[in-house]
Formats: sequence, C-alpha cells, structure tokens
Amino acid sequence: MADNNNLLVQVEDLKIHFFTNEGIVRAVDGVTFDIHSGETLCMVGESGCGKSVTARALLQIVHRPGKIVDGSIVLYRQKSHDQIEKVRISDLEPKGREIRSIRGKDISMIFQEPMTSLSPMYTVGNQIMETIMLHTKADKNQARARTLELLEFVGIPRPNRIIDEYPFRLSGGMRQRAMIAMALSCNPRLLIADEPTTALDVTTQAQIIDLIQGLQKDYDMGVLFITHDLGVVAEIADRVAVMYLGNVVEYSDVYTIFNDPQHPYTQSLLRSIPKVTATREKLEVIRGMVPSPFRRPSGCPFHPRCPKAMPICSEIEPKTISLTENHQVHCLLFDEDAKKPVREMAS
Amino acid sequence: MTEQTPQSQLSSTATNGKPLLEVRNLKMYFPIVKGIFGKISGYVKAADDVSFYIQSGETLGLVGESGCGKTTVGRCIVRAYKPTDGSIVYQRADETTVDLAKVDSKELQTYRKDIRMIFQDPYSSLNPRMNVFEIISEVLRVNELCSPKEMEYMVAHIMEQCGLRPEYMRRYPHAFSGGERQRIGIARALVTSPRLVVCDEAVSGLDVSVRAQILNLMEDLRREMNLTYLFISHDLSVIRHICDRVAVMYVGKLVELADANALYTNPLHPYTESLMSAVPIPNPNLRDRKNRIRLEGEVADPSNPPSGCYFHPRCRYAKERCSTETPVLRDLGDHHFVACHFADELELTGVRMA
Repeated sequence: MADNNNLLVQVEDLKIHFFTNEGIVRAVDGVTFDIHSGETLCMVGESGCGKSVTARALLQIVHRPGKIVDGSIVLYRQKSHDQIEKVRISDLEPKGREIRSIRGKDISMIFQEPMTSLSPMYTVGNQIMETIMLHTKADKNQARARTLELLEFVGIPRPNRIIDEYPFRLSGGMRQRAMIAMALSCNPRLLIADEPTTALDVTTQAQIIDLIQGLQKDYDMGVLFITHDLGVVAEIADRVAVMYLGNVVEYSDVYTIFNDPQHPYTQSLLRSIPKVTATREKLEVIRGMVPSPFRRPSGCPFHPRCPKAMPICSEIEPKTISLTENHQVHCLLFDEDAKKPVREMAS
Repeated sequence: MTEQTPQSQLSSTATNGKPLLEVRNLKMYFPIVKGIFGKISGYVKAADDVSFYIQSGETLGLVGESGCGKTTVGRCIVRAYKPTDGSIVYQRADETTVDLAKVDSKELQTYRKDIRMIFQDPYSSLNPRMNVFEIISEVLRVNELCSPKEMEYMVAHIMEQCGLRPEYMRRYPHAFSGGERQRIGIARALVTSPRLVVCDEAVSGLDVSVRAQILNLMEDLRREMNLTYLFISHDLSVIRHICDRVAVMYVGKLVELADANALYTNPLHPYTESLMSAVPIPNPNLRDRKNRIRLEGEVADPSNPPSGCYFHPRCRYAKERCSTETPVLRDLGDHHFVACHFADELELTGVRMA
C-alpha cells in the first residue's frame, strides 16, 4: 500500500514522561508508528491512554511537566523536487526557530474544542491570515485573498462576511471548519486531528469527516486522526493504532483490526460498544476501569482487566510481536520466548 | 398556535391501560430580553407543542441534535422549568392522575421523590464539598423521607446496588473516577425508589469500556426496581441499545415517534433518515455504503424558525407545500407517529442490519 518513498513521519520507541510532585507518569511508554502521505492513521483508545500526548509530541507542544525522555520522531521534509531532508523533531528545542517553521507549515493540527482553540479576541480571518503571513512571504492583501479562498473551500457560506466575524458568532460546525481552514492554510504534509468531531452532532460530524477526507485526496496529505469513537475509525482509517496506558497494543490495517483483532483489549473494546445495527442485548464489559496513571500495574498494564491474563503477565512487560508484516501486537500471549522460561521454572 | 396535535389520538393509542406519564402539547418558550428595561423582543421556542406518553416499565428515548430542545423537555418533566403551556399528566401509584405543569411548588414536593434525574457530567453534577453519604442522602433529609437511623442503611443499600462499596460512603467525589461518579449520580437518583427517571445524556461523557458497564447497570436496575426511563441522548447507538420506543426532535418539535426497531429500520421522516445515515458504523466492510445522505446547512434557529415544516430548507424531498404548511404529528399505523406531509409516499432507508 505505502512504500518508503512517501514516508512522512516515523516515530520510534517514543517515551514521554510527566514529572509531577506525586511521581513520574509514563504517559507514553515506547510507541512506534509511521505515517505515509495520503493515508489516514487512526489512534484510538480510552482517556488517559496517551493518544493526545503522542500527537502533541509531533509538534513539540507537550505540556509541562511532560518531557520526551527517549525515542525519536523523524519528519521527512521535502526540500526540493527530489531532495528529502530528515528532521529529528524529538531533538528540536520546543521554542526554537526550526520547530516553529514546521508548526502550521509542514505539520498542522486541529483540536477537539473549536471554541477554546480559537482566540475570542481576534476575528476568524485575522487568525488565519496570521498563519499565512508567518510562513509565506504574502502581504496582507494576498493573505486575505487566500483566506477567503480557504473559507470558501471548507464550505463556509458567505466567506466575505464570516472572515470579519469573531469566533463566538459561529456555530460549532462552522468553527471547526474555520479551524480546518487555518490548518490547511500552508498546505501541510501532515494534518493531526485530535478528536475533531467529538463535540459535534452526528450530521455535522459526517460533514467534517467528508471534508477532511476530500482534502486529503486533493492534497495527498497524511492524516493522524485521534478519536475514541470506533465507528469513526471504521469509516475513515487506513491503519489503526489501538492504545492502552501509553502503549500501542495493536497496530494494523483497519480491516484486520475490526475483522480479526488479536489483542484481548481490542477484542473486548469492540465487543463493548452498542451498535446501531444490533438489537438489544447485554453488552460485554471490560471489568474494572482504566487505572490511575500513578498506579500503573506491573508487567503488562492491561493484565488486571484482561480476560486472558496469565500469571506471567503481571511480571514481564510485553514486547511488540509482529504477527504478519503489517500486524503488530503488544501482548505476551503471542510471545513464545517469554512464556517458555516461566514454564520451565515452574516445572 | 392554531394547530394542535390530535391528543385524543395520541392518548387512545396508549394500549396497556393509562400511561405513567403523558405529555400533551408541551410548550416551553424562553423570552429574549433586550436592553436595560428588559423589553422582550422575541421567544426561543425550545419545546413547541410536544406530545408523547411513557408506559410504566418502558424506556423511551429522546434524540436530536444539540439545541433541539430534548433537554428542555426533560427539565420540564422534572419541573426544573415551569412550562409555558401544555400539560404533563402523571399517574400516581393509586392510579389517580395529576397535571404536573399546573401544581404549585409546595405540592410538587410530593412528586420529587417519584420523578428523578440523572445528569450528564459526573464531574460538575456532584458537589465537591459534600461526601458521598451527604450527596446521596440529601434528598431523603430534605424531604424527610426517613429517619436519620434508616438513612445510613438506605444509602449503603443503594450504593451496593449501583456497584459502589458502602465503605467509601465518607469519601468525597474527587476520590472517584468518572465511571464511579456516574454511579454515585445514579445512586442519588434511585435512593428514593422513584417511578420515573429522566436520564439526560447519562452516559455521554464516559469512556467506551465504562459506558458499557453503566448501560448494563441501568438495564439491571430497571428490572430490579421496576423503573421507567426517559433516556435523552444524541448518541443513536446508545439509544438503540437501551430504548423500547424512540422520539426524534428537531428544532423544538417532535418529528417522529415509533417503536425502536421500526424507527431504525424503517424511518418515515426525512430527518430521521438523514440522522441514521450519518451514524458511523463500526464495521469497515460497510464503509462504502451507497446513497449516503449528507445534510446541507445548519440546524434552524429556534427563535426564528423557517416557515412551514422547520426541516424543509435542509430536506431533499421538500416540495412547495412544505414551506407553507406546518405538518402535524399523525399516526401511520402501529403507533408510528410522524410529522411529514409526504410520509406515506416517500421511500426512506434506515440502518442496514448487520
């Protein structure tokens, strides 16, 4: 599906820890994935699994006291026609000149709450023009013309009027469109969408998803889409990374994840969602709840809730096992090497 | 309002005896105040001529997009709002009826323990300065429903039923996770052994795995305590899972009301059809569904709604009649109510069953 020529971002063994007064929170604990241009990678998981923090790390905007402690994020940036430059984002200074030239230009981001992520003090047009003028040599008039073009492009009616409106005058769907217009203003190679439709109604959600997919096709963008809604994942993803407590527990293409999931967490998660197509029956549940980040269970963090837990699960941290070339699972059930010595010791 | 929903028709369809609650032509208008003299310049018609009934023991779902008035209807039923017009007929345990829309606040107290509410946000709906015992027992104390001695027993009992450990009674809400807080909210609503529970987006703020636990808990409690739910949500999958019958609202009006199966597989209102078509289905093999409907435009402004049928500017089947004449909610057989002029002519598609 995707060859190495259009590799966009490669994340390897990324670890982000939060150093708080109560202790160290391992928010992201060894995450590996890559994104190619033109594809959609969905990151899915419950709250606190580290999906948003991972996304923010790609732009070096992890909140304090969070810090990237290990691993690498490499951006493959097109310099000229056939020259590709490797930028190690994980090594860049968060306030440095270089990362600022990437933010909004090569990688841009849309957030969940369009009300809090747009400034209430400036007009919509003003905020979009700022990005354009920062990254290109456009003057004010050119930037305004481009902004009008963008607003029309994302389906905002009467862009001539909306460009001078303040965000509070727009509805949720319109604000999200304005946010998308801003994100697209400099033709990014990668769009990070952090729960962009969670606060929206289903009909608006469908419109926004159509919009993002259409734009992706037009610009051949890579999209990192973060959500907790498995329905949305099934509709848009090419590949899926399922996260639980800072680990990618399963990573594969969307059809494998939904039709043949291997990790017990993915399996339980899929069975616990009420389906619009199914009749009334009792839902299967995952027992217990996501543990507090300060009391991360030993071994595999999912073992206290796992229906298939083995005794060794509380002792050994699982490694990522490749079942096939594009199907990785982070689980001891598939790790024959880890299971063996324990059996020998027991006998 | 000149048109009235034929209420005789609606009530006569209540088959198994009298319904537990019957809402008739409920109207809730909020004034828009302008200037320092408080001049009223218009009204937001949050609920406009809404009629439905709830049978004892059933779960009625109320769906719609944000701002459609579903929460307003729920709040009118618990009488957090005094409706502008219309009646809310509640059947007491001794089978006599009372109109909750008309009674004064003193008399209302006697019904506060019968009709309870579960809220959406488990973080803001619990007072952080009260411990769990105080939160759950407040309603018992205020309404003097039991002696202080019994109180502790009742709170412990309901906590256990809701899957909470009674030992944690003296802890404060911050010590609990989102799912546990929602359980506290449910325990608070159920401690008075209510007959009707209004659940306003009760599972919307929860994680997938916790949501499944809470949905199962609510279903178990419904059976054990013989509860009746009015379940308000924007999540069509959740509604499908928990409800017997479903009502769809659009800009303050009820547009369709039917048995859940009939509504999902065979919708009769174009708005319901477009809602069904917008629901993401967690099955990638179905992603290339054809004939997907994408609604254009935005939800109408309830203070300045369009003429005729409120949905006509976004409706792909709209004809001239739709912009002039307001459709009336009518029964098309099998208690399937719909407010659309062309409901019997249109061929609409519902959710494809897996």
